[in-house]
Amino acid sequence: MREVDIAIVGGGPAGLMAADAAATNGASVLLLERDGHLGGQLVKQTHKFFGSEKQYASVRGVKIATILEEKLQGMSDLVEIWTDATALGLYEDGVLTVEKGKEFVKIKPKRIIVATGASEKFLTFVNNDLPGIYGAGAVQTLMNVNGVRPGQRVLMVGAGNIGLIVSYQLLQAGVEVAAIIDAAPTIGGYLVHASKIRRAGVPIITSHTVTRAYGKEAVEGATIVALDEKWQPLPGTEQELDVDVICISVGLSPLAELLWQAGCEMRYVPQLGGHVPVRDHHLKTTVDEVYIAGDLTGIEEASSAMVEGRLAGLAAASSLGFKSDSLEADILDCKEQLKSLRSGPVGDHINQGMAQVMLDK
Amino acid sequence: MYLKTGVADKELVSNALPTEERRASGPYAIIECFQEIPCNPCTEICPFGSILPMDDINDLPRMDYDTCTGCGLCAAICPGLAIFIINESYSDTVASVGIPYEFVPLPQKGDVVKMMDRAGEFVTDGKVLRVVPNKKYENTPVVTVEVPKDKVNEVRFLQLKQEAEVAMPTADPNDEENLPDTTIICRCENITVGEVRKMIDQGYDDFDELKRLIRTGMGPCQGRTCRHLIMQEISRKTGKKFEDIELGAFRPPTKPIQLEQLIGGKEDV
Amino acid sequence: MLRIEEHPILTFEKGKLVTFTFDGKELQGYEGDTIASALHAAGVKVMGHHHVSGRPRGFYCAIGNCGSCLMIVNGEPNIRVCVVPLEEGMVVETQNNRGDLL
Ligand SMILES: Cc1cc2nc3c(=O)[nH]c(=O)nc-3n(C[C@H](O)[C@H](O)[C@H](O)COP(=O)(O)OP(=O)(O)OC[C@H]3O[C@@H](n4cnc5c(N)ncnc54)[C@H](O)[C@@H]3O)c2cc1C
Ligand code: SF4
Ligand code: SF4
Ligand code: FES
Repeated sequence: MREVDIAIVGGGPAGLMAADAAATNGASVLLLERDGHLGGQLVKQTHKFFGSEKQYASVRGVKIATILEEKLQGMSDLVEIWTDATALGLYEDGVLTVEKGKEFVKIKPKRIIVATGASEKFLTFVNNDLPGIYGAGAVQTLMNVNGVRPGQRVLMVGAGNIGLIVSYQLLQAGVEVAAIIDAAPTIGGYLVHASKIRRAGVPIITSHTVTRAYGKEAVEGATIVALDEKWQPLPGTEQELDVDVICISVGLSPLAELLWQAGCEMRYVPQLGGHVPVRDHHLKTTVDEVYIAGDLTGIEEASSAMVEGRLAGLAAASSLGFKSDSLEADILDCKEQLKSLRSGPVGDHINQGMAQVMLDK
Repeated sequence: MYLKTGVADKELVSNALPTEERRASGPYAIIECFQEIPCNPCTEICPFGSILPMDDINDLPRMDYDTCTGCGLCAAICPGLAIFIINESYSDTVASVGIPYEFVPLPQKGDVVKMMDRAGEFVTDGKVLRVVPNKKYENTPVVTVEVPKDKVNEVRFLQLKQEAEVAMPTADPNDEENLPDTTIICRCENITVGEVRKMIDQGYDDFDELKRLIRTGMGPCQGRTCRHLIMQEISRKTGKKFEDIELGAFRPPTKPIQLEQLIGGKEDV
Repeated sequence: MLRIEEHPILTFEKGKLVTFTFDGKELQGYEGDTIASALHAAGVKVMGHHHVSGRPRGFYCAIGNCGSCLMIVNGEPNIRVCVVPLEEGMVVETQNNRGDLL
């Protein structure tokens, strides 16, 4: 069985930062990514990120992925990277099973950091299985990784940051966006994102939902309807939109299968996007060897995912006795950064959520 | 409303503007970032410290208009594309607006572009003064456009004219020059504008007369497609007002039918 | 045309032209495509039909999560074509049943 100090599952911003932090402190690291390349969500993000300099603000997501990856490549003596490697199981005795290409491999790491990110939520409406109805992530992958437009004219369902950003990216790719709708009475995403799409002529229609897609073999149109204060459809307000793509972007939920398997205590916290692991201030779960970071701990942002990744990497390394001089200061810095990122109104619900899953208050 | 539509309310914008005096005295940046979000690159980039440091990364950005030179760096770096560079100080009639613009194709200096407001509605045409690619700042080009002065804080987006529009920009449809003689005016009978003009010149200036002579409006469309165009042509050539021109008779049937139907038709259907 | 030729941020360097067949028809994609992206760019949205309801199916997540894009590739059923790189000469077929091996 393969041994290593720290195995990290997931090569998104959280996993990449965790690998960097752990190796910088001297731990040997094995990083597993099921995709053929590293970067997670970042590789699809062509827009410039918010945050501050420490979290690479004003740098485009796709470039942040490259920066983080290059940092790791400079530490190849301690960091081993497997792409096309999916973690299949995490057992209570701490064994991690991995499908690597076509091989099946067992690993026994001393610590495991799970940073698997999140998966997209779906929506129910009539004919929601027609070809032409895609998740926002799929539209991004097709458009920004493969260079293929999803269609000619899109209805975006969801006005959170992802719905707004993907709409903007659609416009940049030369695709028309018929409208962005959201069931909530107000726009959930950042208003600066909303404004830049609005001024390009895309209507944002709140208190509306999609009730039906139509089309024979693929989407040819959609029916949207207004909702009252109780989120019930208002009869007579139906509108037909001529679209060939319906893009669903109604939120993410943490991808925590491995944690359930390992027996980590989980709690349902709506503010964090679903079932999330209980953890301490160093991102350790209720299973001593297992740490967590990124969207898996609660749906947030790449900025906080990177800081969490670094924190988990530092904490896991330090629990194994790897300690650089700056370790304490580094850990403190992570905590300060997280606190500041979550200090505004947008962070309120995150903090409420965190309060429900923190072991040490 | 901003929270529902994504269009900043007028008040928010006017509160963000500097004093009239300052507006008249030179270029300035207007920051249209009205929601507390964890973001601060604008405060770090300004070489003159005009965007004041934040106590907390979630604070709203605040401007010191006295020191801002309108250099445009903040507009290039802002990830929200929320900063615009305004210059109202160089002319009585026109002013310029610098807009971060991440689309292709990029306009070129001298292009006439359509200028849209915060809701994407067309406001006015504008002339591109310069395009700064900002390679150093993650390639967010800032396009500076000259517009009528009273519109400069209304317009926030630009759109290139479609090729067809460029070819015939703001052409007056009543201008004969724009409609060459060879243009088809009656699609059903394949009659050109030139033929119609010739007849009008000879004094046949009423729809029914033309119809009898050159068959305009006699085809399957029964004049639905061309009647208007022909009357426009008459109006143009004779100087008569459009509304004064006889529409001509509308005869049944309104839709081509087979002769059979006429012969065997029942009285009351 | 669904391929993006010009983009304000990204540049897409097209790989080598790759020829494959879809239900017997010859189609082309580029090296670097997934089977799904090549099909989509070629205008193919329907990747199969649901084995019970017979309703058409296309891809949904494009990252191998949802199983909506199962097709028969080189004779092998149940392939998630959204994550499988396109290769020269691939034989891609729609799958209208559960994909049991004969
Ligand atoms: C459209 C969009 C726009 C966004 N814009 C911004 C923004 O402007 N600013 C910002 O800060 N954030 C933004 N985000 C959010 C940000 O991308 C995420 O919060 C961040 O990527 C989370 O990082 P992560 O490492 O936790 O997860 P991910 O980036 O999702 O990475 C998880 C990785 O784990 C891999 N993985 C999953 N399961 C396994 C397994 N079993 N075995 C091996 N590997 C596995 C996945 O393939 C993936 O690569 C945006 C997100 C989206 C979708
Ligand atoms: S335009 Fe230049 S001087 Fe003015 S705030 Fe922006 S960066 Fe500072
Ligand atoms: S950089 Fe832009 S989005 Fe960020 S705080 Fe400044 S103005 Fe707002
Ligand atoms: S589209 Fe979801 S698995 Fe392929």
